[in-house]
Amino acid sequence: MSRSLLSSERARDFPEAESVSVLRCCVLAVVIGLGACASEESQQREGVFDDLGRFVTLDRPAQRIVSLSPATTELLFAIGAGDLMVGRTRWAEYPPAALDVPNVGDGLDPNVELIAAQQPDLVVFYASPSNAQAIELLDRLGIASVNVRMDSLGSVPRAARLLGGLSGTGSRADSMANAFQVRLDSARGASGIGSGPRVMILSWDNPPIIIGALSFLSQLLGLAGAMNVFADVERPSATVTMETIAERNPELVLLVGGNELPEFAERPEWQVVRAVRERRFVRVEGSEFSWPTFRALEAVGRLRAALVAARQ
Amino acid sequence: MMRWVVLGVSALLVIALAVAVGPARIPIATVAENLVGRGDSTSLAIVRELRLPRALLAFAVGGCLAVTGAVLQALVRNPLADPYLLGLSGGAGLAAVLAIAFRLGGAWAIPAAAFVGALAAITLVYRLALVSGAVLDTRVLILAGVVVSAFTGALLGAAASLSSAAELRNAMLWLLGGFDAASWRAFRVFVVYAVVPLGLLFYWSRPLDLLSLGEEPAQFLGADVERLKRLLYVVASLLTAACVAVSGVIGFVGLVIPHAIRMIWGHAHRTLLPAAFLLGGTLLTGADAVARTAFAPQELPVGVVTALVGVPAFAVLLRRWAK
Repeated sequence: MSRSLLSSERARDFPEAESVSVLRCCVLAVVIGLGACASEESQQREGVFDDLGRFVTLDRPAQRIVSLSPATTELLFAIGAGDLMVGRTRWAEYPPAALDVPNVGDGLDPNVELIAAQQPDLVVFYASPSNAQAIELLDRLGIASVNVRMDSLGSVPRAARLLGGLSGTGSRADSMANAFQVRLDSARGASGIGSGPRVMILSWDNPPIIIGALSFLSQLLGLAGAMNVFADVERPSATVTMETIAERNPELVLLVGGNELPEFAERPEWQVVRAVRERRFVRVEGSEFSWPTFRALEAVGRLRAALVAARQ
Repeated sequence: MMRWVVLGVSALLVIALAVAVGPARIPIATVAENLVGRGDSTSLAIVRELRLPRALLAFAVGGCLAVTGAVLQALVRNPLADPYLLGLSGGAGLAAVLAIAFRLGGAWAIPAAAFVGALAAITLVYRLALVSGAVLDTRVLILAGVVVSAFTGALLGAAASLSSAAELRNAMLWLLGGFDAASWRAFRVFVVYAVVPLGLLFYWSRPLDLLSLGEEPAQFLGADVERLKRLLYVVASLLTAACVAVSGVIGFVGLVIPHAIRMIWGHAHRTLLPAAFLLGGTLLTGADAVARTAFAPQELPVGVVTALVGVPAFAVLLRRWAK
């Protein structure tokens, strides 16, 4: 049972998995074809496919890495590549040592000049079409790029293996990834999905924006034994009407960060939602609730405790 | 007479429809029960505390936007004029975004900030338009509105690139407009506020007719043109500022509804303004009902629906009118 759950979630991690694999076959065919008739050098080169299906090769493990998302920055530190980092994004604040790495600004549509000034040999992008131009510019400067999509718990071990291979920390990354996968699988088996409270994760109050099924926060909630009342929304987040929230009538409202008693709780239109009227808010804080990390299972423990406390 | 009946009946029908439909599937009989105060608490709250005030607020805002659009088109004698032409939406948006960026507290922080920002933009545009002397030149007024919009837009862009991305995206969503924050209290505040400016604009129908002929003819025909222009500008802007405070910036209604009424009904403001109020309210209430239900449980920005529904209707009207 947990096996099939897992594979369906993996399929969801890769909405374009099929097209990517077709692409991979084509690229592989070309690479094999080239390898058959090309020089020795190209035969020796190894590479990996990134999360946008690009083939990434490095002459040697990366020595100077710029990471353009907080999630990959934390992951690089976790797999022991932190001392190779020469650039991070503005909001990458975990682990605290990351703050000593030079800040290169925003991660989406980033500042190529600032990145190039760090003289990296590998730039780790968040997999997004809006970065295409930056990647092309870096290509022309001879700087390699890799696209990593980290938006679910399943992507943590996958990204760890990918970045471990590129940064020369492969064996540590692999063992951490394997250990995490085992813990994740057993947590899935033990979570007792649906037995806990029905929860709404609220991201914004006006307009009301809720967290849907495709966010790792929804996964954390599931592992903590609770149910996301908006699990049918197949998106990371969505704007919904107040009426829908009132109808789904969540037992608890989960807020990530923010105030103990949020200000919108005073507004008249929110009084229609019972959990808000009765001030049944659960608040969790910390970067482990901002992006998927190896710390996710500790986050699940804290979340479960907070839910239990709020229910009593 | 027949036209008034059609307008009035469609207004009532669309309000009834907006109360009857929604993402929560409540049978029509239950809705009727709820309206008279019976039924289970969840559907009672949805119908009486969410749908009804929301439908009425959308109607009032749509009506007011259409009326201010008609007035501003006559004032600046430009068919492209709409309630936001004169820099007001930029001021409101900037203030709302700043309120979010600086985490101003309080349940009413965003609408209050938007209102203050709109007033600031109105004042600034008004001062700029008067630089050429004591006469309010409406061409300079448009220019002043455009440059103030450009300036607030630039500040908004600066704030957008400097503050935390997620919060700003949410502020922009608020600015796109909608009635998520509708409640009886918001509706009451809006109505109490809007009655006086709306009444004044209706009262000035005759001088507006004169003004739309041109400033010189209006003067010959006995209108105190200078005073009238200033009053119209200030009153119309104050009304728009309230619309922005309760619902963000909703486009299209104030631009196109007045033109549609002029095509089917003529240019006399005594009929144009009330008819625009009814049709604007009808369109916006209907559009909001579609926005809530079309992709339920997700919601579309209502401005998207007003344009998607309104543009084809307007195109048909334009073709018939051109024949």
